[in-house]
This record gives sequence, structure tokens and C-alpha cells, in this order.
Amino acid sequence: MTSEEIIEKIKSELAGDILSAETPLGDAVVHLEPSALPKACEFIKNDPELDFDYLTNISGVDYLDMDREPRFEAVYEFHSIDKNHSLRLRVGIEEESPSVPTISHLWKSAGFPERELFDMFGIDVAGHPDLRRLIMPDDWEGHPLRRDYSLTTEDIAFSFNRDYKSELVKKKPQTR
Amino acid sequence: MGLIDSAVDALETEVNNLKLNAQEALEAFEYESSGAVYDSILTTQLGKVVGWAQKNALWPATFGLACCAIEMMAMANSRWDSARFGAEVFRASPRQADLMIVSGRVSQKMAPVLKLIYDQMPEPKWVISMGACASCGGIFNNYAIVQGVDRVVPVDVYVPGCPPGPEALLYGVIKLQEKILNEAGTGSAKKRVA
Amino acid sequence: MSVTENGLLERDKDTMTLNMGPSHPSTHGVFRAVLEMDGELVGTAKPDIGYLHTGIEKTSEAKRYAHVIPMTDRLDYLNPPGNNLAFCLSTEKLLGIEIPERSQYLRIIHCELARIASHLVWLATHALDIGAMTVFLYCWREREEILDLNEEISGVRMMTSYIRVGGVAQDATDEWLRGVRKFVDHFSSKIDEYEKLLTKNPIWLDRTQGVGVMDRESAINYGMSGPALRASDVDFDFRKKRPYSGYEKFEFDVPTRSEGDVYARYLVRVEEMRESRKILEQALRNLPGGDYRNPNSKVTLPDRDKLKSSMEVLIHHFKLASEGFTVPKGETYVPIEGPRGEVGFYIVSDGSAVPYRVKLRAPSFMAIPGMCKMMEGSFIADVVAVIGSIDIVMGEVDR
Repeated sequence: MTSEEIIEKIKSELAGDILSAETPLGDAVVHLEPSALPKACEFIKNDPELDFDYLTNISGVDYLDMDREPRFEAVYEFHSIDKNHSLRLRVGIEEESPSVPTISHLWKSAGFPERELFDMFGIDVAGHPDLRRLIMPDDWEGHPLRRDYSLTTEDIAFSFNRDYKSELVKKKPQTR
Repeated sequence: MGLIDSAVDALETEVNNLKLNAQEALEAFEYESSGAVYDSILTTQLGKVVGWAQKNALWPATFGLACCAIEMMAMANSRWDSARFGAEVFRASPRQADLMIVSGRVSQKMAPVLKLIYDQMPEPKWVISMGACASCGGIFNNYAIVQGVDRVVPVDVYVPGCPPGPEALLYGVIKLQEKILNEAGTGSAKKRVA
Repeated sequence: MSVTENGLLERDKDTMTLNMGPSHPSTHGVFRAVLEMDGELVGTAKPDIGYLHTGIEKTSEAKRYAHVIPMTDRLDYLNPPGNNLAFCLSTEKLLGIEIPERSQYLRIIHCELARIASHLVWLATHALDIGAMTVFLYCWREREEILDLNEEISGVRMMTSYIRVGGVAQDATDEWLRGVRKFVDHFSSKIDEYEKLLTKNPIWLDRTQGVGVMDRESAINYGMSGPALRASDVDFDFRKKRPYSGYEKFEFDVPTRSEGDVYARYLVRVEEMRESRKILEQALRNLPGGDYRNPNSKVTLPDRDKLKSSMEVLIHHFKLASEGFTVPKGETYVPIEGPRGEVGFYIVSDGSAVPYRVKLRAPSFMAIPGMCKMMEGSFIADVVAVIGSIDIVMGEVDR
């Protein structure tokens, strides 16, 4: 199925649950609310024409510097092994107590990326069997990939373009 | 009269300085020679023999972390054979190794593990910091990487590169061997075993 | 363990916790697995990663697109051209520029050489873990030839950064192509050498057949990709299903097997080395002339000799060297087939010269839960075989 056909099918079946669906640059993209995620995922997995049996990637994005509401977004990429097409689900997540339901009961490959969502962005994944820090040490404070977390805590010793880089350095207490 | 007084003052301060310097020099000399038995001619030659033996049989502990580990493996392979310089086997257990080649970037989570492995190695031990990330944080100046492994363990030889070619790492090992031979029989070698 | 009233130690549970620590000699990087053992059998295996976390994704948000490419080299450090290509394909899709045909062929040659080099490291370390040390020395001999070719074309042995946005860094000389030709001509006999040592070897068969089995449904559900997926009876290779960078013009097979054990993965990867050699041969034979990069000066650096005569070229060069090219607003994900599986970069752009969010889809990262599932119920000696067969690289797992 081409991206347009996928979008048409999803729009016709899940009309009330999705916010919008489009095909930018040839990819099929559907925007959802977090509460609609489990139902949409069950549909795209079990439908014989869509047959999205392979979850390939879950990314988190923090839109703080792009001034977009809602602040966070979780982006799910799906492939279909037999039908050879792909889909992207974008779930907008609010800034206050960010949370998204888990889909690890449908695809076991969601286990690690959802833990990474929690670790790097602080997005709580409701229903995940083992939600704890994955990449950072267990006692780390803060969520590194958020845009308001400073990249580096020390001043660079020497740099030719010191002025450009100094705005990356902010005062932050050591977390270890 | 004022001129002569100031000259006398200057002379007195100079003489006092000389006395203090001489005292410090004497204390330093006494400290250096406190292992008087160790530093006699006979045992210095013995120390040199021990140093020669140590340098020709440096066994590295496998501490490959990232990309530099691949070049370290290349150094151990047939083209740049490190076995002909004495680094015959890479010991898996730190208790049987005397050289730790920190090859790769050390993250905040790995730093305590690095210290633990270093502590488990028996004396005398040496550390080569291989690559830019181990020497100074490399291209990653951020929250996640320890900016230089010498913040965690004392380093003897730094090998720059990203990754350094096996020939560069081998040159680093040879330089370390020269360092061991230079230090052999002196107080610095004694400090390692103490 | 708890203490009874008499002061004796009492066992709380029947299993022993064995820590396969971050520093262990199986040289697959800093991977930690906490194994609950019942004697020699592994009950559960809990993975612990993050010991090589470098913050590359966050650092990329502060660098221009051209400066992110050397960072992507160091993610999967056994396959730097693959990472470069994945990043460049996503960026070029956002930019909407075309890549000339010669540049596509050069990219394919570089990537297939890297695939062979990566599979050689896999074979060397996998065999070394299981005990065959001779293969380790043999494989590195061929890998050194590939690294010499890398050094000739890009200046660096491993982290080449040869594939840039808009094309490649510089044109391939005839001498280099002759070097690739020489490698391709004798490589097939070398693969025969490795196979002679291992494929029918009874020790190898005993250690790898029936070990770490994963069936088709689990492999798809756990998100395995690459050779691990194809060894479980799934015919899926992005070079065939979603051809990128000119792969549709090449004739090659995609090896699959149905057993899903360590031996099947070994056979699939050895066959892949042969197929890569075939692709290289075809690429050398059909290499077209033309530009080695898209001549659009708004994206790629113009020729230096025109700098002295044309004002426009000077302005473009200045803008590219100082601020860099800007990418229109949008987001995209282009998957490619790396030696470990599906590699792709999800890039979000906010219209400036600096990417807003760069997320790597790492095949080893997604394979780890599946790998730990494979370990459960097997002997402790099989754990090493399984880790070697999945071929994880911690640089891309922890990023």
C-alpha cells in the first residue's frame, strides 16, 4: 500500500481518535492523543491489510525551543514485513506530568525504547513492566535530552570561537 | 647612611634566603636518600635489571571500551605484532596484568568500574591513556564523558589520535618501556611498589 | 543469604546471581548482564547498558549538519560509512536534493567495503570467544587491506567521514579503484579459507548448532533486524525492499536460513560477505563518470579553483564554511541496511543550520532484549556464543 492509501484507511477506520494525518515527503504520518494510542496500535497491528507487525523505533522530541504545544512528542515508527510499507505515529505529550501508555504488550521491541523515553525525557510510560533508568546511572538527577538541560557543565579550556560556545555553558550543580 | 643600611638589609635577606634554601635542599636530599640501602650502587644495578625485566614483559589488561579498542586489537594482530615487544597476552583478569590501556571514552557510569579494575591490579602497574577521549575527553565535551581518564587514575603515557593507529599505540608502549627503564632503580620506581 | 539464630548462613533462593560485568574479555564493548544461574543453566538474563553513553544525540543539537557527520562515525564504530550514509540520506531527503550516479556508486563501494570489514571483525571476535583464535588473525589480515583502502581515499583508517551531504568527500582515483579491484579479486579465496576452518568443524557445530534459537514470530516481535532476522526465516533486506543510493541497479541475493540458531546466523553473515563481494565487482565494472557530488553550491563546497574567479562561488563557500547550509523545516526517517541490521536517523529540523533532534535507530539497541531472551534456558558457555552471534556494538547502543 502506498502512504496515501495507508492514511486513507486509517482515517476511515479511526476517524474519531486521530488528530490529523498527512504524507509529508512521502512518509505516512498520523498525529494522536496519548489516550488514543493503545486502540490505534491494536488496530494497525491486527488489520490484515495494514499488518504492522514490526515496531522499529520510538523517539522522543522536546519542542521547547520551537515554541510548540504540547511540549513533548513520542514518535513511533512501524514497518510491515510482508506488505513492505511504513507508518509514523506522532503522539503529543503535555509538559505537566508527561505520560504516555505503553505498547510493550503488543510489540516486545518497545521495552527498551520506552525506558529510554523515561530516562532521557522524563516521560512516564504507564503500564510498562520495568520502568527505570536505562542509559544514565541509576542515581542520576535530571533528564539529559530535554532542551533545558545544559549540554556541558564545565568551561572549555581553550577554543577559537569562545563566544559562540560560551552560551552552551551554564552554571549547574554537579549531579554526581 | 640610609644607603648603607638598605644595602646591609638586602645582604641580610639574601643570606637568610640562602640559609633557608640550603636547609630545604638538605631536607630534600635527606628525604631522597632515606632509602639509603636501596640507593647504593649495587642495588641500583639490581633495580635496573628488574626494570629491564618488567619492561620486556608488559602484559596488558583487556580494557577496550570503544573504537580505540578495535585499533588496540589491530596492534595485537599480525601486522603490528605487539607480542614481539613483550605484550604477549592480553590478560582478562586485572589481577594478572600490569598494564592498563584505557582505550575509548570513559562515561560517567563507567568511571567507578575503571577505578575498581585499576585498584585490582597488583603493583607495579602502569596506565596508557589511548586516544583523545581517554586523554582529555576528545570531541565529546559534555555531561556524559569524563574529561580525561587522568581524573580517575594516574596516567603514564598519553597516546593522541582518534583513533590512534596501531603504530602510534605501539610507539606509546615503546615510550612506556623507555620510561620504565629510566625510572628503574631510582626512588620513583620504589614508590610504585610501595 | 540470611543468618539464622545459631549464626549459620542460610540460602534465601536457589539461584546464584552471576555478574557478567562491563569489563569482560569477550571484547564486544562494555555490556553488563546480570545472570540468575541454576547451576550451569541460565534462568534469566537482565541487561544493563549505558556504560558507553556519550551524549552524541544531545551534542549533535549544537553542531551544524556537516559537523555531525564525524560524530556519527563514532556511533557504530565498526561501520562508520553506514552511519554517515544513513545521516546523509535523511538530510538529503529533507533538503530535497538529488545525488549524481557516480556518487551513488562510490557510496555503495565504500559501504560494502565497510560491511565486509565489519563482518570480518564479527567473525574474528566471535570465533575468538568460542575458542578459534586462528580465525582472529586471518580475518584481521583482510581487514587491514580494507583499512588501507580507506586511508587512501579519505585519510583515516576507520572513521572515514567520506560520505558527506550531497555526495562524497572527493573523487576516487584510478589507483584506488585498482586497489579495490585487487582486493575483490582475491577475497573470495579468503572466505573459502575461513569456511574451511569453521563451517564443517565438529567443535564449531557442537558449540553453535541449536544454541540461541529464535523463531520467526519472536524475531519480528522483538525487533531483531539484519542477519539475526534473516536467519529466522524472514526475507527482509532494505537494499532489496527499499532500495536507496542506487542499489536497485545491482544483482545480488539475500541469504536467509530458517533454523534461527547461532550457526544459521554465522552462515548468513558469511554468505553476505560473498554477496558484498559480488556487489563490489559489479560496481567497479559499471562505475559511471560524472560528478562525485551534487554541484549545488548551496549545499556542497564548490571547487577551489573557481574561488579565485567567481564572486558567487566565493560567497557560497564563505556561507557554507561559516554558517553551513540550512535545512527546511520537517522531519524524516530513512532506514538503510547496515551489517547489524536496520540503521536510520530520525532527524527533526527547525529550518536552521543546526539539527533540532537527531535520533539514531540502532540495531544493536533493539536486539538486546531479544538476545537476553535467547540466553534464557541455555548454558553459561552458550551466553558468549549468543552475544557473539548477534554482534552488538555498544557505541550505538548507548550513543
